[in-house]
Amino acid sequence: MEALARSLVSAVPAIAGVPLWTVTLLMMVLSAAVLLAFALTFGGLGSYVLRKVAGDIQVRIGPNRVGPYGLLQFLADGAKLLLKEDIIPAKADRFLFILAPYLVFVGSFAAFVVLPFGVGLTASDLNIGVYYVMAVTSLVVVGILMAGWASNNKWALLGGMRAAAQIVSYEIPVGMAIMPAVLIAGSLSLQDIVRSQGGLLGIFGWNLFHNPFTFFSFFLYFTAAQAETNQTPFDIPEAESELVSGYNVEYSGIRYAFFFLAEFGDMFVVAALATACFLGGWHVPFFRAEALPALWGNLLSLAVFLIKAFALVLVMMWVRWTLPRLRVDQLMRMSWKYLVPLTFVNLLGVSLWLLIFKGKGIPALIASLIG
Amino acid sequence: MFLGNLESLKYFLPELAITATILLLVAAHVASKNRRSAAPALLSLAGVGASLLLVGLLPGGPGTSLFEGMVALDGFAVFFKALTALATIVVVAMSMDSAELKDKSQAEYYIFLLSVLLGMFLLAAATDIVMLYLSLELVSIPSYLLAGYLKGRARSTEASMKYVVYGATASGVMIYGFSLLFGLTGTTHIGEIGRGLALGKATLPMFLAAAMVTVGFGYKIAAVPFHMWSPDVYEGAPTPVTAFLSVGPKAAGFAVLVRFFYTVFATPDAAAGMWKFSSVDWPLLFAVLSAVTMTVGNLVAINQKNVKRLLAYSSIAHAGYMLMGFVLLTPVGLRAILFYLVVYLFMNLGAFYVVILVANGTRSEEISDYSGLGSRAPFAAVALSVFLFALTGIPPFSGFIGKVYLFAEVINRGVYWLAVVAALNSVVSLYYYARIVKVMFLEDPRESAVLPVPAFPRAMLCLLVLPTLVLGVYWEPVIRVAADSVKLLAF
Amino acid sequence: MTGPADLIFYFVAALTVASAILVATLPNIIYSAVALLFSFAGVAGLYVFVSADFLAATQVLVYVGGILILILFAVFLSNRISTVKISNPVHFNWQAALLCLALFGVLSYTAVSTKFPVKPGLSYQPTTAEIGELLMTRYLLPFEVASVLLLAALIGAALLSRPEGEKERSADMEEPK
Repeated sequence: MEALARSLVSAVPAIAGVPLWTVTLLMMVLSAAVLLAFALTFGGLGSYVLRKVAGDIQVRIGPNRVGPYGLLQFLADGAKLLLKEDIIPAKADRFLFILAPYLVFVGSFAAFVVLPFGVGLTASDLNIGVYYVMAVTSLVVVGILMAGWASNNKWALLGGMRAAAQIVSYEIPVGMAIMPAVLIAGSLSLQDIVRSQGGLLGIFGWNLFHNPFTFFSFFLYFTAAQAETNQTPFDIPEAESELVSGYNVEYSGIRYAFFFLAEFGDMFVVAALATACFLGGWHVPFFRAEALPALWGNLLSLAVFLIKAFALVLVMMWVRWTLPRLRVDQLMRMSWKYLVPLTFVNLLGVSLWLLIFKGKGIPALIASLIG
Repeated sequence: MFLGNLESLKYFLPELAITATILLLVAAHVASKNRRSAAPALLSLAGVGASLLLVGLLPGGPGTSLFEGMVALDGFAVFFKALTALATIVVVAMSMDSAELKDKSQAEYYIFLLSVLLGMFLLAAATDIVMLYLSLELVSIPSYLLAGYLKGRARSTEASMKYVVYGATASGVMIYGFSLLFGLTGTTHIGEIGRGLALGKATLPMFLAAAMVTVGFGYKIAAVPFHMWSPDVYEGAPTPVTAFLSVGPKAAGFAVLVRFFYTVFATPDAAAGMWKFSSVDWPLLFAVLSAVTMTVGNLVAINQKNVKRLLAYSSIAHAGYMLMGFVLLTPVGLRAILFYLVVYLFMNLGAFYVVILVANGTRSEEISDYSGLGSRAPFAAVALSVFLFALTGIPPFSGFIGKVYLFAEVINRGVYWLAVVAALNSVVSLYYYARIVKVMFLEDPRESAVLPVPAFPRAMLCLLVLPTLVLGVYWEPVIRVAADSVKLLAF
Repeated sequence: MTGPADLIFYFVAALTVASAILVATLPNIIYSAVALLFSFAGVAGLYVFVSADFLAATQVLVYVGGILILILFAVFLSNRISTVKISNPVHFNWQAALLCLALFGVLSYTAVSTKFPVKPGLSYQPTTAEIGELLMTRYLLPFEVASVLLLAALIGAALLSRPEGEKERSADMEEPK
C-alpha cells in the first residue's frame, strides 16, 4: 500500500506536497470503503437470491412485489431494518449486548482485506493471508458467545455455546484442508496461491486438478467451511425449530443487520477462499488476464473471480435448502471423527505427492509425457 | 559441535522407547474393552525396562550436543535418566499393588506416568531454554493429572487444582526470567547465554533472571518458599503418585537446576567450580535457601498427623539438604547431590511403599493407625523403620553416608554455619521419624488382625531395603559413578 | 520522530496495558474476559510493530480463538445464569497493590536501565518461511516434544471430562438404534 502511495505521489503532481502517510491512510480508508460497499451489496443481493433459490427449490415464487421480479426487495428489507425500533432487553447486559454485533461483523469483514479479487486487486496482500483469515475468524466466535450470554436468554446462550463449539471444532479441518494449496504455492499469501495456479491453459493449473488429494481437499474444505460458518445443514446454533433463532434471537433492527451481514460476509469469504485456493482464483480459463493492460486485466480477472465465487455461493444455498440439519452430537462427531482424520491423511497424501513428483501436478506430468 | 537431527537419533533410543510405549498404551487402550486389566502396567514396565537398558548402552563422559544443541548427551544426563527410569519402575510396581488405583482406568495412568518420565529424561539433558521449558511442562502437566487421578475424592481434586495454579505461576515467572536472559544475549542456547553474560556487565537483570529461573526450578524440587503446593498435593494425590513426585520430578528438578546454573554461571574451567559472576554473593543466597528449606520442612513436619503429609514435609527438608551440595557449585558438591539422590530414591520410595501396603489394609494414612504395626505386620514395620532411620541419617544406614558427603563439602569450603543448621535439623528430624517407629512398636494395636503383605510387595520391599542397608556400608561404586557423572557437557 | 506510526504504537500499547489492568480489577469475570480480548488483540498489534506477522496472527488464533473462548465456556458452564454470582472479587487489596508496585518498579527499572543488545534497523520482512524452517531444523526436537505433551494433555482432558462409574463408555454419544 505504501509503495503504491509513493508511486501515486510521484506520478500526480497535484498531491506532491501531501505527506506520504496521509496518502497511504486515505487509500486504506478508500479500499476499506469499497470493500464495505461490496460486502453490504453482497449481503443485500445475497439475501434476495437466497430467498429466490429457496422459493425455486420449494416450488414457490419467493419475493416478487418490490421492483421487477422483486429485485428491490433487499432495499425494502434494509430500510425496514434501519427504521425498526432498537430493542435491548431489560435484563440484558447492555455493554456486551451492544459490543457483540460489532465484533462479529468486524471478524467477518476483516477477512475481506486479503481476498485476491483480481490480478492486482487485493486491499492488502499479507504474506500470511490464509492464516490471517483463520485468525480473524476467531473474533466471530467471541462475538457470538458474547451475544448469546449478554441477551440473558436461554436460547441465545445455547445457540451461542453451540456456535462457539462448532466454529472452534471446524477450524481444524478447515485449516488442514486448505493447507495443500499452501503447500503447493509455498506461501500463505492468497495472491501467491492464486498465481501458482496459472499453469496449462488456465484451467489445468487449478489446484483442484493438481492431484487426487487436492481434488478431495476441495470438498473437505467446502464441507468443513460450511460448518464453520454455521450454514445449513450445520446450522444447529440457530436451529429455528429448537432455538428459535439462536444467539441473535434478542437482536432487532440495525444490530440484527450486523449479524445478518456477517453471515453473508462469511458465506462469501468461504466461497472466495475456495475459489482462490482450489479453483484458480482470478485465472481466466484458456486466457492470460495478466497479459492484458492493467485496467482490462484487472476487470476481467475480477469478473472471473466473482463468477467462480458466486457459483460456489449458489451451491451453498442449494445445499442449504435441500439437506436436513444434523444433530449436535452428529455434528461434533462429523468434525472430530471424520473430517479431522480425513484432512490429516489428505495433507499427508499431498505432501507425499509433492515429494515424489517434485511438486508437479497430474496435468503437468501428462504434459511432460506428451512432450 | 552439534550433532544434526538425524545423526542424533541413535543416541536417543531410550526416549524413543518411552514414546513408543506411550503410543502403544494409547493404541491398547483404544482397542481393549477392559479398563482395569494389568496389561498397561506390564507394558509400561517392559517399556521403561527396555529404556533403562538402552540408557545403560549410552556413552557417558564429557559428551556431545544432540539435536542441533537442544539436548546434551553426557554422563550427567545418563545418570539422571537411569535414576528416573529406576524410580519409575518402582512406582509402576507400587501402582500395581495400590488399592486406591485398582478401580480406576489403568491405561491413562501409565500414559501420564511415562510422559512425565519422558519429560524428566529431556529435562535432565536440556541445553536450550525452549527445550528446557517444554520438558518442564512435559513433567508438570501430566503430573497435575496424576495428582488428580482419584476423581471422586475431593482431596485429590484439590491437590490437582493447587498443583496447576502453583505450577502455572512458577512457569510464568520462570519464562519471564528466560526472556530477560534472551534479551541480554539474543540466544536460547544456555551455553551461549553463559558466554554472552560473561561479556556484559548487566548485574541487575542477570540477578533478576537467575532469581526468576530459580522460582521455576525451586517449585519442581519443592524448595521453600516455593513449596506451598507440596503438602497438599502429596496428601491428596494417590500414594504411588506422591512417591513418584517426591523422587522423580524432584531429581529432574535438581538435574536442570545444576545443569542450568553450572553452564550459565560457573567458570568454564570449573576445576575449582566457582561462581562466575562475583557481583552477587550466590553462595550465600543458595546457602540461605538451603537452610530455610530444611528448617521449614523439618519444623512443620513435627506436628503432622498424616504420614503422607509428614513425608511431604520431610521431602522438603531433604531438598534443603541436597541444596547444600549446590551452594558452592563445585564438582565435589554436585557429586554429593547425585549420591544423595540415589540413596534418597531407595529410602523414600521404600517408605511410601510401606504406606501403600498399610493403607491397602487399614484404609488410613493417619499415624495413629500405625499403632502396633510391629505385631500386625512385622515385616512392613521393620522395613519402614529402616527407611525412616535412613531418612534421618543414622550411621549404619545409607542416608548417613549421603549426608556425610553433603556436610563434608560445605565444611571443607568453610560454610560452617550451614553445616551447623543442617546438623540441628537432622536432630529435629529424628524426633518425628522416631515417633512413627515408636507408634509402630511401642503402642498397643487398635485391632489385632494381622495385616497380610503378599509375596510380590514383600520382594519389592526387600529390593528397596537391600540398597538402603548396603549403601550404608559399601558405597564406593556408587560414589564413583556419581563422580564420573558430574562431567557435564561444557560449551 | 513522532510520526503516525508512533502514535498508533502508543495507542496499541496503552490499550494493552489498560485492558490488562481491567482484567485484574473488574469485579465481573465476564467483563474481565472481554478486557482480556482487547489485551490479547493489543499484544498482537505490538507483534506487528516488531515485524512478527506470523506471531501476531498466531496470538489472535491461539489466545482469542482458543484460550479466551475456553475461559468464556468455563464461566458459562460452571454458573447458573439465573443467579448471576459471576464474580471476581479482590482480596488483600493494598498488600497486593504494594507488592505489584514494587515488582513493577524493579522490572521497569531493569528494562529501562539495561542496555539490551538491539538489532539495528528493523526490517519488515516476512517471517513465516524462516519460522517454518527453524521448526523443521533447529527446533525440531521441541516441536516433536510439544506433540507428546499435547497428546498427554488431550488424553487428560478426555479423562477428566469422562463420567465416572460403570457407564464409562457411555452410550449417550452413540446412534440411537
